[in-house]
Amino acid sequence: MKPKLIDMFLAFLKIGALLLGGGYVIVPLLNNELVDKRCWTTKEEVIDFYAMGQCVPGIIAVNTTLFIGYKLRGKTGALAAFFGLILPPFLAIILLASILIKMSQNLIMGDIFWGVNISIIILMFLTVKEVWKTSIVDRFTLLIFISTLVLSAFGVSPSISIIAFAIFGIAYNLIQKKIKGGNA
Amino acid sequence: MNYFLLFIEFFKIGIFSFGGGYATLPFLYHISDAYHWFSYEELSTMLAVSSITPGPVGLNVATFAGFKTLGITGSIDATLAIMIPSFIIVVLISKILKKFKDNFYTKSVLYALRPAAAGMIAAVGVRLFKSSIMPGGFNIQLFDFKGFILFILLVLISLKLKKDPLVYLLIGAFFGLLLHFEHIIGLFA
Repeated sequence: MKPKLIDMFLAFLKIGALLLGGGYVIVPLLNNELVDKRCWTTKEEVIDFYAMGQCVPGIIAVNTTLFIGYKLRGKTGALAAFFGLILPPFLAIILLASILIKMSQNLIMGDIFWGVNISIIILMFLTVKEVWKTSIVDRFTLLIFISTLVLSAFGVSPSISIIAFAIFGIAYNLIQKKIKGGNA
Repeated sequence: MNYFLLFIEFFKIGIFSFGGGYATLPFLYHISDAYHWFSYEELSTMLAVSSITPGPVGLNVATFAGFKTLGITGSIDATLAIMIPSFIIVVLISKILKKFKDNFYTKSVLYALRPAAAGMIAAVGVRLFKSSIMPGGFNIQLFDFKGFILFILLVLISLKLKKDPLVYLLIGAFFGLLLHFEHIIGLFA
């Protein structure tokens, strides 16, 4: 039986409200809400969709949500899930944003934001460290890492870099394939 | 500055950002450079706020940046612009998921874009480190020693502790207060 759109919206609304911290937090939340409570899908499927969410561009949590929503009820399902997921953060930003910005000008709140900002720097380097093992696997990928680091420092548009490296990636692998094919 | 341009810029983030989490930031810094809709400093405050509100950080910062640029309609504009490419791609590939994942071209593109995304995030990290800890470059008078101490402390903690970003944010907030304890004392003086 297909879940109702409104139920899907509400399930993802809850997930969106509880999604604090990193994007991967969405996996346990999806397991709890969609698998354990509602039996709409399986844990294996959640992991698969999460993995796929990383293979396509965009926000991983959003991609994962769209994949599951689409699987459950097609395009409208994907949209219902998406709007459920983003409504709580969206409202939080709209309602709290201006208040928090004002508060950041307060001395004490400013200290808290100062500390949070430094934590974020660490979190970024930890993200890089975490993906390092699976991303930088040989000399070519190391070269790409260093190149983007340098290009970003010089203000090159990230879109341009992404397009260029996607093409390089294909070209490099085509050449590799040919070399291997030639040897065989 | 108009809705169309805002839409296009955020649509580009939706198409070209890989790697999740902080992957949208390099684009937002670039937008700041190119259009001056918001400053680096505003972006860093938005990032802090987005980290302590629910939802995916990358999307939150984008929503916030849209809000900053053109108000509520701007934030809706930005959020939808980021999501539409994902939606189209999901609809297109959902039926051929396995094939898509194992496809030679998909693999080749991801092989190159994973390290590229990592490099861009590292660049944002370096940029934030410079702006918050050494705002005056190598001018020692502007060097934020307290910030540097907190940074080292968090690095040490990260060697012992695993994952959960929330823990880091809480530790950061706590030490933000502790290292500026004179401000709290000032309240009561």
